[in-house]
Amino acid sequence: MPLTALKNRTAWMLVTMILASSFVFFIGAAGASPKESPYTTSRYNAGTPNSSIVVNKDGSITAYGNGAIIYTLPKTSLAALGQALYATNCAACHGDKANGVPAHSSDPRYANVRAGNYPNLRGVGSAAVMFWITSGRMPAAAGTNVQAVRRPPRLTYTQALEVAAYIDSLTKTPGLPYVPNVNLKGGSLSTGASLYALNCAACHTITGDGDALASGTYAPSLRNVPANQVVEAIRTGPGNMPRFTGNLSDRQVRDIVKYVTGYIQHPQNPGGLGLGGLGPVAEGFVGLALGVGLLCLAAFWVGERQ
Amino acid sequence: MSDVAINTKREKKAQLGRYGKVGHVLNEMDDRLGVAKGGKTFMDKIFPDHWSFMLGEIALYSFVILMLTGIFLTLYYVPSQAVVLYKGSYLPLHGLHVTEAYASSINLTFAVRGGLLMRQMHHWACDIFVGSIVVHMCRVFFTGAFRKPRELNWSIGLTLLTLAIVNGFLGYSLPDDLVSGTGIRIAYSIILSIPVVGTHVAFWLFGGNFPGTVIISRFYILHVLIIPLVILGLVGGHLGLLVRQKHTQFKGEGRTEKNVVGSPMFPIFMAKTTGFLLLVGGVTALLGAFAQINPIWQFGPYDPEKISYAVQPDWYMGFLDGALRIFPAWSFHSFGYTIPLEVTIPAVVFPGIVFTLGYLWPTLERKYTKDNELHNLLDFPRDRPKRTAAGAGILSMLFMLFIASSTDVIANFMHISLNEVLLIMRVLVIISPFVGYIVTYYICKELQGVDGASQRKTPNIVTRTATGEYVAVAAPKNVNDQHVELEAVPVPNYVTSDEVVEATTSGVRTVER
Repeated sequence: MPLTALKNRTAWMLVTMILASSFVFFIGAAGASPKESPYTTSRYNAGTPNSSIVVNKDGSITAYGNGAIIYTLPKTSLAALGQALYATNCAACHGDKANGVPAHSSDPRYANVRAGNYPNLRGVGSAAVMFWITSGRMPAAAGTNVQAVRRPPRLTYTQALEVAAYIDSLTKTPGLPYVPNVNLKGGSLSTGASLYALNCAACHTITGDGDALASGTYAPSLRNVPANQVVEAIRTGPGNMPRFTGNLSDRQVRDIVKYVTGYIQHPQNPGGLGLGGLGPVAEGFVGLALGVGLLCLAAFWVGERQ
Repeated sequence: MSDVAINTKREKKAQLGRYGKVGHVLNEMDDRLGVAKGGKTFMDKIFPDHWSFMLGEIALYSFVILMLTGIFLTLYYVPSQAVVLYKGSYLPLHGLHVTEAYASSINLTFAVRGGLLMRQMHHWACDIFVGSIVVHMCRVFFTGAFRKPRELNWSIGLTLLTLAIVNGFLGYSLPDDLVSGTGIRIAYSIILSIPVVGTHVAFWLFGGNFPGTVIISRFYILHVLIIPLVILGLVGGHLGLLVRQKHTQFKGEGRTEKNVVGSPMFPIFMAKTTGFLLLVGGVTALLGAFAQINPIWQFGPYDPEKISYAVQPDWYMGFLDGALRIFPAWSFHSFGYTIPLEVTIPAVVFPGIVFTLGYLWPTLERKYTKDNELHNLLDFPRDRPKRTAAGAGILSMLFMLFIASSTDVIANFMHISLNEVLLIMRVLVIISPFVGYIVTYYICKELQGVDGASQRKTPNIVTRTATGEYVAVAAPKNVNDQHVELEAVPVPNYVTSDEVVEATTSGVRTVER
């Protein structure tokens, strides 16, 4: 009798302890998790219309920004032309209403595609549209690829503006940010270099050559990216890239662009051949194959061979 | 008049003796310092001529270049982590607050005449230094040159390799740029991961938590004084033992365990080796002039909150970096301690095992083969298939780890997923030693069976008879391949010494001078 009581008591104690500890654990976990709140920025002139706004007679905004970057809305009159271009180049995947539901759902090639498999374009902002089209990534070579590849653009700059105007016309207010135009005069190279190392080098590498990220994605090379596309990418965050709005002001973005289009794209190699900017991998290869290899051949030349 | 003058000159020349002014100076020196006897032994030293014996000299001469260029760099480099305002000529750094170490490295690159060339030569010479040590070690290992009586010299060589790698890492860290700072951060974590004493050692070395303010000056004194001195002493011991124990040689005509066949130090080997020194210097200077290495101005100064992707250490640290990259993330937290197996095993335990195995190998082989004889004749690698295969296995594993240190570059270059590269490298690192062993073993066995392997091929002479029949007859052996019995050629003796007369007075002992 006392033995069974003890057994029962031990069992109850165990259950109570487990319950209590899990309760404490969950309470602790709930307390530790940060509260979700919508993202807001109080940073002045960070890609959002809060400075030097140009308001038209009908009340619409066409441009905002400052001396560093001016954001302009594509003319609404272009939307009609954009509609036709959109239908031929974009609608197959993004859908007739640009909401990411493909137009040809009945086509067997799109049998596995459901709503949400393709990005919703409504309200993305003209800067994002311009980035994807002018960098040749859209229309995509294959819609199901992990990452769209940079190619020679299929649409011209004006045609891209027309598509952006059409997508803007689908929502009540056009999405942000507008098409940026960066003015590199007066930018600081050293601030740009420092900000580049802090914000960009972790993926694009310090020499701007880009590198592989997880699961088949990669940070593309920055060698041949025009200035405005760099701004568009920073402000809209295409693909895996984070969207930098609150933490970088327009002046800071201008400095980064100045460094990228200056020293990253035209690196000074006073030490001789740049070896592809690959760092110690290429250096080790040259040091072993050329340096040690040549000297082994020299030894072979100087010494006896049998 | 002129005739007289010429005659006087001739007479003067005749007075100086057979070896002219050089001989005169040497005579004067011998009178005072007695250099003739030691010099004669030195000059008569016989070196076997096989080309693979020159590989160690690449290391020796690149070390000479390292010291010369290094002395130049110390004139301009400031080993301090004090923060200064950069006001030099490289615009993207203008007006930034950087450490004095970084600022002085940039200044010696851009503002000192020849500074960039010296820095690049120093770095290339370092890559070549460690590379040639590895190649030289492979020669010694695969030919069995480490066997009795040369085990001690093998250990000295392995210690030299370790010191070369450590000093290479320290030198790589000194400019305090973004990439090298990341390297120091990794080294700090590796030290932290050592069980029990890790935290104490790390705090003692860094004077507190990372990055601290003293690590650059401590690395500097280690890099330019302490480790080079130890290397220099060990190189002296390495060469001293080589002279004392005589050189090994490959089997061949006239070569036995008891003799050394080769050319004397003077003049043949001296000419060869001097030329070789110039070749090493030439290759290093060419690389330093035309191939850019470690562009620290592009990397920018080190800040703990900044990092660049796609950075690797120099090649000789690659196997360590690769091991860290591909090891699974195993770490445990218990009783208030973190046990980071993901760092301890690949970065502390694994290199410990590899280097211990290296030190123990001669003993292990002697125990295993029960071979306690003295060996002065080298093996052909194919004749010792198990040793060759084991060496090839370990090397293939280290090579795979070396490749694994560039997983991101491979993934980016070949357009495959980084995760797949990681998985493939894990598999390759585990199976490569076995594949390397088996393949090498059977290649060695095959080569043993090949008739006339490593002999020069002789042509077949094909003749057509009158009846149209073709007859192939092997041509006589090449003249150089024919067996020639070597006879020792006595080296002419130019030193004449007087006979020693025993002193008769008690308490006075005659010393041979």
